Amino acid sequence: MKISMSVFSTLGKKIFMGVTGLLLSGFIVIHLIGNLQLLLPDKDPFNIYAHILTQETGSIIYIAEFLLAAVFLIHFVYAIIVTWNNWQARPEGYRKVKWAKNTSRRSIGSVTMIYTGVVIMVFLVWHLLHFKFGEVVYYTPAGYDHEIRDLYVIVYQFFGNIINVILYIIVMALLGFHLSHGFWSAFQSLGLDGKRFTPFVYGLGVVFAIVMAVGFLFLPLFIFMTTGGTV
Amino acid sequence: MKLDSKIPNGPLAEKWDKHRFDMKVVNPKNKRKFSIIVVGTGLAGASAAASLGELGYHVKNYCIQDSSRRAHSIAAQGGINAAKNYQNDGDSVWRLFYDTIKGGDYRAREANVYRLAQNSNLIIDQAVAQGVPFAREYGGLFAQRSFGGALVSRTFYARGQTGQQLLLGAYSALMQQVDAGTVEMYPRQEMIDLVIVDGKARGIITRNLVTGDYERHVADAVVLATGGYGTAYYLSTMAINSNATAIWRAHKKGALFGNPCYVQIHPTCIPRSGDYQSKLTLMSESLRNDGRVWVPKNKDDNRPPNDIPEEDRDYYLERKYPTFGNMVPRDVASRNAKQVCDEGRGVGETGLAVYLDFRDAIRDFGRKTIEERYGNLFEMYEEITAENAYEVPMRIFPAVHYTMGGLWVDYNLMSTIPGLHVLGEANFSDHGANRLGASALMQGLSDGYFIIPYTIGDYLAGTELPEVKEDHEAFQEAENHVRQKFDKLLNTNGTKTVKEFHREIGDILWNKVGMSRSESILKEALETIPKLRDEFWQNVKVAGKADTMNKNLEFAGRVADYLELAELMAEDALHRKESCGGHFREESQTPEGEALRDDENYSYVAAWEFKGLGKKWDLHKETLDFENVTPTQRSYK
Amino acid sequence: MENKNMTVYLTVWRQESKNSKGTFVKHTVEDVNPDMSFLEMLDVLNERLIKNDDVPIEFDNDCREGICGTCGVVINGTAHGPRSGATTCTVRMREFKNGENIVIEPFRARAFPVIKDLVIDRSAFDRVQNKGGYTTVRTGSAPEANSILVPKENADEAFEMAACIGCGACVAACPNASAALFVGAKVSHLALLPQGRPEAARRVERMVAQMDEEKFGACSNHGECEAVCPQEIPITAIARMRREYWKSTVKS
Repeated sequence: MKISMSVFSTLGKKIFMGVTGLLLSGFIVIHLIGNLQLLLPDKDPFNIYAHILTQETGSIIYIAEFLLAAVFLIHFVYAIIVTWNNWQARPEGYRKVKWAKNTSRRSIGSVTMIYTGVVIMVFLVWHLLHFKFGEVVYYTPAGYDHEIRDLYVIVYQFFGNIINVILYIIVMALLGFHLSHGFWSAFQSLGLDGKRFTPFVYGLGVVFAIVMAVGFLFLPLFIFMTTGGTV
Repeated sequence: MKLDSKIPNGPLAEKWDKHRFDMKVVNPKNKRKFSIIVVGTGLAGASAAASLGELGYHVKNYCIQDSSRRAHSIAAQGGINAAKNYQNDGDSVWRLFYDTIKGGDYRAREANVYRLAQNSNLIIDQAVAQGVPFAREYGGLFAQRSFGGALVSRTFYARGQTGQQLLLGAYSALMQQVDAGTVEMYPRQEMIDLVIVDGKARGIITRNLVTGDYERHVADAVVLATGGYGTAYYLSTMAINSNATAIWRAHKKGALFGNPCYVQIHPTCIPRSGDYQSKLTLMSESLRNDGRVWVPKNKDDNRPPNDIPEEDRDYYLERKYPTFGNMVPRDVASRNAKQVCDEGRGVGETGLAVYLDFRDAIRDFGRKTIEERYGNLFEMYEEITAENAYEVPMRIFPAVHYTMGGLWVDYNLMSTIPGLHVLGEANFSDHGANRLGASALMQGLSDGYFIIPYTIGDYLAGTELPEVKEDHEAFQEAENHVRQKFDKLLNTNGTKTVKEFHREIGDILWNKVGMSRSESILKEALETIPKLRDEFWQNVKVAGKADTMNKNLEFAGRVADYLELAELMAEDALHRKESCGGHFREESQTPEGEALRDDENYSYVAAWEFKGLGKKWDLHKETLDFENVTPTQRSYK
Repeated sequence: MENKNMTVYLTVWRQESKNSKGTFVKHTVEDVNPDMSFLEMLDVLNERLIKNDDVPIEFDNDCREGICGTCGVVINGTAHGPRSGATTCTVRMREFKNGENIVIEPFRARAFPVIKDLVIDRSAFDRVQNKGGYTTVRTGSAPEANSILVPKENADEAFEMAACIGCGACVAACPNASAALFVGAKVSHLALLPQGRPEAARRVERMVAQMDEEKFGACSNHGECEAVCPQEIPITAIARMRREYWKSTVKS
């Protein structure tokens, strides 16, 4: 009974949202660090990193991917449920709404969570389709005796297309908005708060959002500006 | 009718204990069979309903607000007295008793007041266990302060919101009983009549304030805890919806009304600024600790206050009362403010205000200290008046604040109608002719938590109570009566609004039955009030319909009652030819102009019996015997 | 005397009863004294409506000094009006401009159905409160008050939480119509005091369950509630409620 209470109550759902949100935040940090290797002119480090990660970790990668997918899914499904319920909680809206300012932390990020979230989810599908399940090119890096995937070249080709670059930039900006509220909100949803802690986490969240958004959108921009997609 | 106060025999300190033993007790198995109606959810009502529910009675609790948490007890600021002697400053039950009797100008019952002082300590324990966050010291113990001129620090407080915190404590106790299923709540219901069957109070008629339906509610006993009648004055510190209807209609059904002329007028309120004004806001009287009260020496001195030089100012309280100065009791301060305004020396746009000046205090102690002491009050003042009291003196004026009078009750808190009990400000109470600061909360909770649970059991266990149904003819009759009354209000369709009548009756009371009363003026009031009442019933204009929420109609019913009650207030004030507490008769004053009591002729409770409108009330007297204290004349020179 | 009086143009929600369809109605109020309170301005309008055989606007109000929590409307898009830390009844007309358009709406939430015009039904709060928003203590069974020591900091914070007036502005302002601040304040008040500890777990579980039952939304940490709260209760109350909730779940 207690378990069901925790899973289905408004507080419980938000706890799940918070935990999964923080896990996803952790994931994108790792993802971004991995991506940084794409900035190198030499394609080997990135490709080898990707190869080890996907081919040489045995079943661990499958478990990790499964868990990651589960986390994404929980975050997404709960977001839909929570938002739907929240919309139901006020069937008749106001004619005029003015944000209270003052101490309020309402922001563009906070009121658009579901929209930025859905966009990111759609983007994710596109992202996976292209880079994970998309076109495959093989090559043999120096020091290797067998072929591995050349994801590097795929990425570079992809970001040679100005439309892709623009779409990525937009989505990463939206991710920034999502994180600007999501990061500190996750702590708050878990009940982690304090007189000094909360303003700190709130500030950290904004910094985190900017770093992540800029970090991710810098890559396509960099590739497009420097190489135009030709490797 | 012979008034029997039922005060137990024996030494003062043992009366209540002995009485508790002597009272009959209801068999626990039978308690659920008894139903009790409690009207009102303020400190007295909520604490009574919760405690009675706990005992196992079937309790039905009514309030006019949308939730029981909003009763006007919530607005009490200062604190609550208790004889804990935590400060080791010599306080005791006896001292609290003595101060309360003396503060009431020797017009209250010794036995009741002593019991109140005894219960004061239990109230604090109870409230603390409920989680009421009284102010504490660093060691974790309670802080107390001195309040209202008391010589000991016995006032417990929760910032300036003590009433709120105590009420929410009582409310939470009530909610616990709702959870337990012993108390049923009826919010947004107004009691509009009392139903008497075979001479006993057996139910009430209510108007459902959402649907407009008339409802009948049956019980074995009825408890009224509906507060005072200060709103009869139109402008007061009371809440907009506070009203006298429940007690007044019970009075008309036979409950005697005690001391209706005893009204407390608080000296430090923010003055009114125009005709539209709907209520007055009280500011803590602690302001008088540092503020100096003055008016210009000369009439028509229209200079801004800061331009008036020292020699043209009259610090009239300091001049007349060199010892107490600005700290004189509430009634003295109020009366003097009225006096200087009557002389044409009042200040502000209306001329109905005096200055309360902090200039000297700021000079002596620095602005920071004053800010620390009164910052929130100065802020509130600025919010309302748009004036900065650090720069210009505050303007203050007295306002009606509390009514000591109310339905007469015996020691068991039962009125002259068997089964009808009255608690808190609604009864004629333990405060005599004047209530001390921080005593109202104490009385309401004492009545509700620690008196009625015992005394109502005595009534129920010792009374034949045959079953009564809602279709009993007494209910039928009562409902028809109130239905006709409301229909009449709606159908008169005259030209003057309810508010206009309310304002007029308020003006009459304020000017003629206010801070200073005299025979000729009271007689004028007694002439004009019935005329206004007649005009009301011929010319009132009430909006809307009956079968829906209609606040204008609710108000019309209440104002109709004020128009009757006002007459009794004037009648009582006229008959009491002495001055005592809040009741000042110009004919009865010392050569220095102070209130002069007449213990020989007026040491009694005046309890009035309703005989029908247009007829004179019958006066019954309950003599007050003072065996333990000796009445003395107050002096604040 | 110079005429400092002003004219305001109101757009007010009018709705005859719970089940009827409401609509916005425009009223012009002339000759408004800037010293009037907002509700006194509505009083004046109502008096004029009554004189013209119209039906006055129903709105809840009582103490008119900001403590009872009865009043509350959304004024120009903000619960309790433009000034922070205020209730509707303490708003003054001088806070508006001469000739200003003022939109007045009831607090809106599924859990707070409109009864008439600007009057809403907030009984959901009572139902949440009676699911454990108390300490179980029989009258007369309380221990001597000073036998329970409470550090001043805790007592002060408990007071801050207990100061809630139950007006519902938090729900009205919340984009999700969440009652988290109201419930959080009560849970925190009692959780901070030793008197409230024995029932802390049971309390938070039951109150949260009832809050959900009443169909309030979930808190998304926008913080609008704190910004409009007349008692300025901080959202730390909500965080504390969540911690208490965690604890109760882990415990069982």
